[in-house]
Amino acid sequence: MSIACEFDYRKPKTLSKAIRLLAKRGRQARVLAGGTDLVGWLRDALVAPDLLVDIKGFDDLKGIGVKNRALVIGALATFSDVLESDLVAEKLPLFREMAGMVASNGVRNRATLVGNICSAVPCCDAGPVLQVYNAVVHVRGPNGKRKIPIGQWFLGPRKTALRPGELATSVAVPFPGKKHAGCFVKLKRYRGEDLAQASVAVLILAGREYRLAFGAVAPIAVRGPRTEALLKGKALSPDLLEEAGRLAVEEVVPITDIRSTKEYRALMVEVMVRRGLKTAASRLAGKGPAYGINVMEEDAP
Amino acid sequence: MTAMKFVGQSATRIDELAKVTGAAQFVDDLDFGPNLLYAEVVESPHAHALIKRIDASRAKKVPGVVRVVTGKDFPYTFGLYMQDRFIFARDRVRFVGEQVAAVVARDPVTARRAARLVKVTYEPLPHVLDLKEALGEDALLVHPDLKNYSHCPWFFPVADTNIAHWRKTRKGDVEQGFREADMVFEDTYTVPRYAHCAIEPHVIVGQYDLAGRLTLWSSSQSPYTQRHVFAEALAPLGLKHQDIRVITPFVGGGFGGKAGVSMEIIAAALALAVKGSPVKVRWTREQEFYNTYQRQGVIARIKMGVKKDGAITAIEHTLHWDAGAYVEYGANVVNAVGLSATGPYRVPNVKIDSVCVYTNLPPGGPYRGFGYSEFHFGLESHMNRVAKMIEMDPVEFRRRNAIREGDTLPYGAHMNPCGLVEAIDKAAAEIAWGKKEESTSPHKAIGKGFACFWKAPAMPPNAASAAFLKFNEDGSLNISVSGMEIGQGFLTVMAQIAAEVLTVPPGRIRVETPDTDRNAYEWQTVGSHVTWGCGNAVKAAAEEVRDKMLQVVHRVHGFAKEDLYFEDEHVKCRSKPDFALPFKDFVISGIQTPHGNFLGGPILGSGMFMPEFTSATGDPETSQGGHPNVHYTVGAAGIVLEVDRETGKMRVLKAVLAVDVGQAINPDLVRSQIVGGLVQGLATALYEDIRYSLEGKLLNPNFTDYKIPTALDIPDKIVPIIIEVAQPDGPFGARGVGEHTMIAAAALVANALEDAVGLRIKSLPLTAEKVALELRGIRYDDVKGSTMGLCFMGDPQQYAFFTKNSK
Repeated sequence: MSIACEFDYRKPKTLSKAIRLLAKRGRQARVLAGGTDLVGWLRDALVAPDLLVDIKGFDDLKGIGVKNRALVIGALATFSDVLESDLVAEKLPLFREMAGMVASNGVRNRATLVGNICSAVPCCDAGPVLQVYNAVVHVRGPNGKRKIPIGQWFLGPRKTALRPGELATSVAVPFPGKKHAGCFVKLKRYRGEDLAQASVAVLILAGREYRLAFGAVAPIAVRGPRTEALLKGKALSPDLLEEAGRLAVEEVVPITDIRSTKEYRALMVEVMVRRGLKTAASRLAGKGPAYGINVMEEDAP
Repeated sequence: MTAMKFVGQSATRIDELAKVTGAAQFVDDLDFGPNLLYAEVVESPHAHALIKRIDASRAKKVPGVVRVVTGKDFPYTFGLYMQDRFIFARDRVRFVGEQVAAVVARDPVTARRAARLVKVTYEPLPHVLDLKEALGEDALLVHPDLKNYSHCPWFFPVADTNIAHWRKTRKGDVEQGFREADMVFEDTYTVPRYAHCAIEPHVIVGQYDLAGRLTLWSSSQSPYTQRHVFAEALAPLGLKHQDIRVITPFVGGGFGGKAGVSMEIIAAALALAVKGSPVKVRWTREQEFYNTYQRQGVIARIKMGVKKDGAITAIEHTLHWDAGAYVEYGANVVNAVGLSATGPYRVPNVKIDSVCVYTNLPPGGPYRGFGYSEFHFGLESHMNRVAKMIEMDPVEFRRRNAIREGDTLPYGAHMNPCGLVEAIDKAAAEIAWGKKEESTSPHKAIGKGFACFWKAPAMPPNAASAAFLKFNEDGSLNISVSGMEIGQGFLTVMAQIAAEVLTVPPGRIRVETPDTDRNAYEWQTVGSHVTWGCGNAVKAAAEEVRDKMLQVVHRVHGFAKEDLYFEDEHVKCRSKPDFALPFKDFVISGIQTPHGNFLGGPILGSGMFMPEFTSATGDPETSQGGHPNVHYTVGAAGIVLEVDRETGKMRVLKAVLAVDVGQAINPDLVRSQIVGGLVQGLATALYEDIRYSLEGKLLNPNFTDYKIPTALDIPDKIVPIIIEVAQPDGPFGARGVGEHTMIAAAALVANALEDAVGLRIKSLPLTAEKVALELRGIRYDDVKGSTMGLCFMGDPQQYAFFTKNSK
């Protein structure tokens, strides 16, 4: 693979040096972590930065831990890290379900979850799951640290609230503090690795609180507040599932592109919401299928 | 025939160790030293435009750039069956991605950067992507000079149109056939373009040495044909066949995409431009999609007449092919279908029009199945629908009409021995045809699909194979042939054939990949013919060797030759039971006589094979009178398909394919062909979905958006069934099988889908999306938007067939 554009490559020793470099070059600089998006874009000349700042050496940004009753996923934690983390499996298995559906093994071994939301393509898999957990992105820049709620993070396709010179250091996922269960549903063109034609993250908390978020059916990963309101406090009856599915479609704005028509996306959002809610509810009741199945492909055993 | 020891056995592949250890070398593995140069091609961004000016001055100034080459440097055409392609576009470009110039530099990045600095000024012209437009009155002509192009004698271009070839086959009287029918049914089916997706992209290194020798190391299925096409194209520069050498190491998949000559011509030309240094041209995955060959798209109308008892009285099959900007190979796909579009059925009245149409899309060409997968989708869909209309079981309907040995083919010759009925019965039994299955899931349904298939190799009447065979001191053998090992197991099968004649086990026989200087001639490794054709040549060479060995023993020992035979690498004698002469004792150094001298010497032999009974001299208006095809391989297949009514997603629970291979030389390799072919065929049915923009640009030249199956996407179970009705002129009765195994796949899915959920879809692919939408009454064509998924833009069901001169 040959990259035709020329750029400087720097791998600074300290995070503050990296921030200074990024601040100095502004929009001409790009952060390199897993590189699974960036290197492809460079090859296809979709981006032409002057500078790549390689952050792979910073131990502070690695790993997955717990801090202040939240799961903290470092900027260098890969999807494989998420998939293999016992902590994730125990505390927030929905992330595990999502991570298992990202690309392929090889890509997951390099691609980072934080990088996924920094790329901020509409079909990013991490977006909807972070949305239902009200995650917070931790950012460092020349003017110090700040926290950006995930609801304010995505500004548009490939656009985030990150300012020039800033670096996303981690994302914190607060534990809901009560019993909960979820389901990540991804519509793909086949069972193999694929970008989402559409995705739905469902989270149900004890006390009949429902949260839904959608990927690839709007410019950014979005929540479904009206559907959540409809469901709130109610038990899931077949009629309610139907109604929720129909309402969810009104909350998204799918488009037609090479991966799907908007008509199919809309139809599938309905199906995905129904299947996602049903699966999450049975998981909450302790009898659902183990995390890791895609209910668009196979039935719960 | 006595029991065979090596033929019919699943011998271990003789290239297995080289492949699994990584010792096998592919072109990109070869080391050409520090003087190797790299080329980057400047491509057309337009589907159709005039080239006004090429300014390479900036590119030439980039340090490391050696040469910039344009069409002016090589103003020559080339082509296998029609000279319509250009080494570099001259004056005009005809598809997005066509090579306009090339930069040769000391490293690939420099070449790439400099190529971006080559400034090409174009005058865009209107383009024609749609078949309807291409065939319309006053259509824009993709090749205004068509009438001046030289081509093979069995092509019939229509001057001043976009019709590059029109194959007409007429047998009996179709109108009479329709009158005799109790029911006549007509409909239109469409199949888009497809890409081969071989795991190894095209790569070739060319070197023109200071003595005027042009050597090419090419990832190819066709070393000799490449040499011939290069020699023809470069003849104005004084190059002759003897000056050109093509070496083909192992190939990472061909599927037809590496047959003939496509991008390889660029390396041949560039080598001449940088005399002395080797130069590498290596395609990216994107280029692999849009500038080699693609499988051609087709719109096909089928009209079929049947009697109530199920007898087919007539078939009228009209096919319009989107062949792309150059048809030097693809027009022969169109030709092959034009001779065979009845499928494997006895049909008294036949009218086939197979029309090859130029468009401003990438060149079409050979792809596993050579047009047969495309027409079988419509035909085998139609067979099910017709059976339903006359209330006959679709398997019984096929059985009733199945072709048998001696039946008259559409072009008048007679059908070879075949076990189609046996294949139908076995495939139907294996999927428990007629037994309805229920899904355990409330939103899923299970259906069964069935389809038959046939295919003949499409070859010039004098396509030949040859083999050399020699012994070594230890009694081991070398076979030298120029068929290509493209994964199918060709090398192993050649060893098994020689082994059967000479009793030397395949493990003691080396068969290497070709080098046109050293290996015996082979036309091409295409058409599923090499086991048959080259196998016959190897068998002949082995027999010649056997005769020479017997002659030596006879001379020394005086035994009658009829009494001599081979057993376990020994010469034995029926009249002298204690005589056993090991091969290794005499095949190089001869046999010592009582006088102390030696008779004999190094044993070697050669063999050749050409199907001397074929001809391409059929009447242009009817195709009657010639014998264009050597034989047809037939078979039948079935699947059990689970369909999710809500999502449209389909899962193949079981796939079965029975094929009459005459004689399986290596049953494991035949079974592998069946598995591989079905997987590839099912991918074209379910996943692969090519998209062009309205400007003719391929939108998904990558595996992100052009999906071929992963290990998760293959059928849960595949059952291969081998039928063996011997081919009299095949080696040990064998006939070809490589391509056939994918031909039925698309119709299988379409038929199973209808059985499961009552939905009949007449256009490929049958994606989950299309199924889900159609199940809700939404026509995919109405909503698919401007990213067209097919080779035409309008509603295919409203497509008007061009029937001028078609009587």
